[in-house]
Amino acid sequence: MSYIKFENIYKNFGSNEVLKDINLEIEQGQLVTLLGPSGCGKSTLLRCLAGLETVTSGKVYLDGKDITNVDPKNRGIGMVFQQYSLFPNMTVLQNVMFGLSMKKVDKKIAEEKSKEILEIVGLGDKLKQYPAQLSGGQQQRAALARAIVTEPKVLLLDEPLSAIDALLRHSLQVEIRRIQRDLGITAIFVTHDQEEAMVMSDMIHLMYQGRIEQSAAPTDLYTKPRTSFVASFIGHYNLFDAATMKKLTGEDVECDNVAFRPEIIRMSKSPIEQEDSFMMKGKINVSLPHGNIIRYAVMCGDIQVDVDELFGQSELFESDDEVYMAVKKSECIFL
Amino acid sequence: MKNRTERGPAIVIIIILIYLLIPLVVSIVYSMFSNWTGIVPQGFTLQTYVNLFQDKTFLASIGRTIVIAIIPIVITILLVLLALFVTVVYFPKLEKYVQIICMIPYTIQGVILSVSILALYVSNPTFLSNRVIMLIGAYCIIILPYIYQGIRNGMRAVNMPVLLEAAEMLGASRIYAFFRVIVPNIISAIVVSSLLAVGIIFGDYVLVRNLASSAWPNVQIYLYQAMKSDSMKSSAVFVVIMAVTFLIAAIVLYLQSRERKGKKH
Repeated sequence: MSYIKFENIYKNFGSNEVLKDINLEIEQGQLVTLLGPSGCGKSTLLRCLAGLETVTSGKVYLDGKDITNVDPKNRGIGMVFQQYSLFPNMTVLQNVMFGLSMKKVDKKIAEEKSKEILEIVGLGDKLKQYPAQLSGGQQQRAALARAIVTEPKVLLLDEPLSAIDALLRHSLQVEIRRIQRDLGITAIFVTHDQEEAMVMSDMIHLMYQGRIEQSAAPTDLYTKPRTSFVASFIGHYNLFDAATMKKLTGEDVECDNVAFRPEIIRMSKSPIEQEDSFMMKGKINVSLPHGNIIRYAVMCGDIQVDVDELFGQSELFESDDEVYMAVKKSECIFL
Repeated sequence: MKNRTERGPAIVIIIILIYLLIPLVVSIVYSMFSNWTGIVPQGFTLQTYVNLFQDKTFLASIGRTIVIAIIPIVITILLVLLALFVTVVYFPKLEKYVQIICMIPYTIQGVILSVSILALYVSNPTFLSNRVIMLIGAYCIIILPYIYQGIRNGMRAVNMPVLLEAAEMLGASRIYAFFRVIVPNIISAIVVSSLLAVGIIFGDYVLVRNLASSAWPNVQIYLYQAMKSDSMKSSAVFVVIMAVTFLIAAIVLYLQSRERKGKKH
């Protein structure tokens, strides 16, 4: 039996249908991600679980109980928000103790527990500070501590890292994942950043236009996208319809779309011999170094193909070089 | 840039200061010298002040002014806070109407307001016809726009919806969250608008004259009567009113700064 269950969830804002027939089950102890472009409904779905939005129809279950109409404060759910949401008039310690005092936990015990959690998130020396004295990353860590100190049944994270700079974001991703595993919390993470989703999740639910487009483990989502939207959203796939493929390779394909990742393309200045492959020929337009890889934009007539090459592993190409490309058909995805 | 000495702004500030301080300084000087016919005042004496502070009627009138300032301010603040809580949390669309209603008193003249109140309540005796209660009501109306605007601006500065949601997720009811989390963060807005309201009520003569000059003779009424008999005394009363106003502002701002200092550690 799944721990969290969304059943036929619909949500309208006026005439705008934001969630359309969402059915989703989440196992206990997992960290799952709701991933998707902005406006796809992922935050709304999270807020429906939190109780901050009411569903138009459908049911939400948590731990076997129907919580569709339960007040947010009685759902036993912790949440970290996208914006900094610490109470500015309270110290870090008071912020973390707030939830426990609402639960009428004895003050001494509450203080001990809060200090423990703040130690875990690495803010043990900031107890007496006010939120305005903390950096963005520290504020979100304090918000995390505040959300988990009450031992919620589920922890919801609504793009908590989107306002934090890249370097810190990576370390916080790892840290959140570690804390979630150590404490065995069931967590739902919302993000629009596919790399973040890949790094953090046991399971990714990719959403698009109010529906779940695909649910899969991170590697499966990356290597086996089921729809052309998933392919275009995940991993910079080259995505071409049948007519374009015909122009590009001269071959007919028996499907609507063909997708292949930039890194599986073999590229050379001399013709390539390779069986069961799509063959293409083009001219290097630009090369963009991305650290460990170089991404080439290759123009085949008016069609652009992106090719990734590992830096230093292959010959270097320059603009206007004529190149031959080959992609094994077995590695292409036909959609 | 910074090394360039700009005389212009300094001169402007000095002119403004002179403009603002002259009436006060002249009043102080006038209240302390018995003879000021030439350029230099003569006959320094503090007797006026001694007399004033021995006059129980005067002290009572000051007390009345302070009481009649505090009660309407507290009532209006509570009212505005509750109204804003309900509109922001439950009926955001109604907010513009609340704003319009709260702004209407700006346009009402004191004379019109007091005459209307008298016409409405005096002929038809209820507990609202009590003179002091009418005066309190009138002051509540007069200071409403200032209190509303001050508190509203303070609320805009904190991210109220997110803070309320965060508190709610932690198990707090909305109303508890509002008074425990939102209100402490807009204290300075509340303080500033209260001080403004104190200024307005201390400066009022029309309302208290028309509504309660005999039932609640406050310091303005006292001042008016003093002006008729003794100009030196009236200057002294004016100086005391200013001093009390400054004192109230200073105490409140001091308390507030002490709290802020505590927060910054």
